Amino acid sequence: MAQETAKHNFEISDITQKIIANIDSGVLVLDDELNIHSFNKWLELHTSLKEEKVLNKKINDLFNNINVKILTRKIKTALKIQTPTYYTSNTSKYLIPIQNNQIGTSKYSFMQQDVSIIPLCDVKKLVALIITNKTNMANTHALLKENIVVVEKLHNEVIKEREIIDRRVLLVKINKELIITDASKAYLKLSNYTKDQLLGKSFFSFKKYNFSKKLKEEIIHHIKTQSLFKFEYKTIIKNAEELWFKVTLVPEYDINDKHIGFLLFKNNITASKELQTHQEQVILNSRFTAMEEMINMIAHQWRQPLSQMSSIFINIKLKKDLGTLDAQYLDNAHNDIYNTIQYLSTLIDDFRGYFNEDEYITEVAFHNIFEKSKIFIQSNQKIDKITYIQNIDKDLKISTYKNKLIHVIVNIFKNSIDAFKDKKIKNKKITINATKENNYILIHIIDNAGGIKKDIIKKVFEPYFSTKSKNRTGLGLYMSKKIVQENLNGTISVTSNNENTDLLIKLPLQL
Amino acid sequence: MNLEKITFNDDEKDVLQELINIAYGNATAIVADILDAFASLSVPIIEVMTINELLFKFNNFKHSSYFFSTQAFIGDFSGECAFFINEESANNLAKHLDIDNVADLDDAILELTNILTSSLTMRLAQEMHTEVTYSLPNISKIPLSELSNSKTLQYYSQVIVIDTKLNFKEQHIDGQIFILTKDGSMQWLKKQLNIILKSLI
Repeated sequence: MAQETAKHNFEISDITQKIIANIDSGVLVLDDELNIHSFNKWLELHTSLKEEKVLNKKINDLFNNINVKILTRKIKTALKIQTPTYYTSNTSKYLIPIQNNQIGTSKYSFMQQDVSIIPLCDVKKLVALIITNKTNMANTHALLKENIVVVEKLHNEVIKEREIIDRRVLLVKINKELIITDASKAYLKLSNYTKDQLLGKSFFSFKKYNFSKKLKEEIIHHIKTQSLFKFEYKTIIKNAEELWFKVTLVPEYDINDKHIGFLLFKNNITASKELQTHQEQVILNSRFTAMEEMINMIAHQWRQPLSQMSSIFINIKLKKDLGTLDAQYLDNAHNDIYNTIQYLSTLIDDFRGYFNEDEYITEVAFHNIFEKSKIFIQSNQKIDKITYIQNIDKDLKISTYKNKLIHVIVNIFKNSIDAFKDKKIKNKKITINATKENNYILIHIIDNAGGIKKDIIKKVFEPYFSTKSKNRTGLGLYMSKKIVQENLNGTISVTSNNENTDLLIKLPLQL
Repeated sequence: MNLEKITFNDDEKDVLQELINIAYGNATAIVADILDAFASLSVPIIEVMTINELLFKFNNFKHSSYFFSTQAFIGDFSGECAFFINEESANNLAKHLDIDNVADLDDAILELTNILTSSLTMRLAQEMHTEVTYSLPNISKIPLSELSNSKTLQYYSQVIVIDTKLNFKEQHIDGQIFILTKDGSMQWLKKQLNIILKSLI
């Protein structure tokens, strides 16, 4: 029996020795004076020290990084309480310096270790130190710590950006049921509503939005199809002020790409709407002015032919009363009246065309445009004794909106005529040069009315800018530039010196 | 997770209080011997509470700078010791142990946690004729304000909280220890308390 027990104990001891030799941990036996009593194979391999060379030596003589005081205290504590004490890699990094030979991106030069100090024999004051490699875990911790810092930084940036968006972007959120779920501070500030007054309200039933039936249908269509939609609408905010918003409706999805509602990014366009209305009014004013001028021109143009026809009728009556009316005279009178009526009819057509908004692009010889333009300023031509000089190739043709171009040239002529007024200039002349350059026509309209001062030349195309009498609107050149750029796809510019002003219009030959 | 509320009757509470008093007496002596300083442990307060109630109790520590360390004990009687020590006390502990760098200060706090956990629970386990083993102690780096998100705490539904104060009067070191036991251990504990009760009759 005793033999069997001895055999069993021997076997167990042998097994234990084998386990200690091959375990993937350092196993070291020390006494409370720090003398080494055992040093397993793992430690031999990692430190390149053989057990027989280190036995009975003090561990702190082999590894001088060891804090003797702390290790001694931990050993004594373990022996005293008869439970393990510890070093942890989190706080102590390592007990025995072992070079880290890992190929990779380890953050540590030395193996990071957890050490358990287990009491073995209270009489001999022996403890076992179990050393476990925790480098991978420490690397993971370090990486995690670094990433936490990065994530925290990003998180703070996101919060900051969200605050900026909240303060600056006009944003309203609605859920799939079209209930308002959130609104940015910027929107609340502008609309003068509190969150309580908006949140929970139905987007369409919120009466202040006041959408037209057609717009509502369009919005519903885009909501159903979850598609992006841009629209404008007018609303009344809490203090009864009217605001115009340009809205972009964007479907909102959660992180799993599930549709959760819509974002409405709003842009306050009230100021630009007011400017647009103002510009429309400017254009209307300009048209009224032009029409008034036109009526005066028609009256002027008609006066002479009407008086001519009146004379013919008086002469017919006189000749009839005197009995001298013959067939030849009647034929001649008929022809004169007919020609005059034709002339009046052409004049009406020309004037009507001048205001025709729905005209088509037509090909026309440019010198005809010049001639037609002159008709509209004939009265001034005679009164002001202005000479018109044209250098226009008769074969030069342009495909464009003819009447709009006439409108521009007439405006420029009128501008020059106005410039001549109040100035004693001999040989008043307006020169028009038209040349072809590649696919463009360059039209120079030059007057010798004394030029434009340098400080105001930049303003001549601005609306309501006029250096002339109070009767002028100051819209002529503004309208000309608008027509050239927006309708005729061209450019207009001005240069001037003390004598001459040169308006240059560049237009495509084919619009 | 066992959601059934476990309660202790007055007899069970008396026995438990007695066992804990023995364990605390032992711990006081060991701590004083090892740290070479006279320590006192207040009479422990034993309460069964939910995790929310416990977190509310921990809430008191949020307002000042505290080190928070834990150590698990494993066996029939298993759970976790939580030790709070404020910055001033930790610095005084460092001074007492001649420690002059932060890493060693953390290590000293862990050592104190280990001594307290071992000396308290080992004796308690012995009195209840069982054994316990220990995990490595850990200094928690999570802010106390985020403690309620801690995974470990989510494993508990209710806990026995044994709350006591450690005081080294001369060294001006104060700490507070909570021994927290999990649901299964509470069942086991109740059973053991009744065995002890029967042996006393």
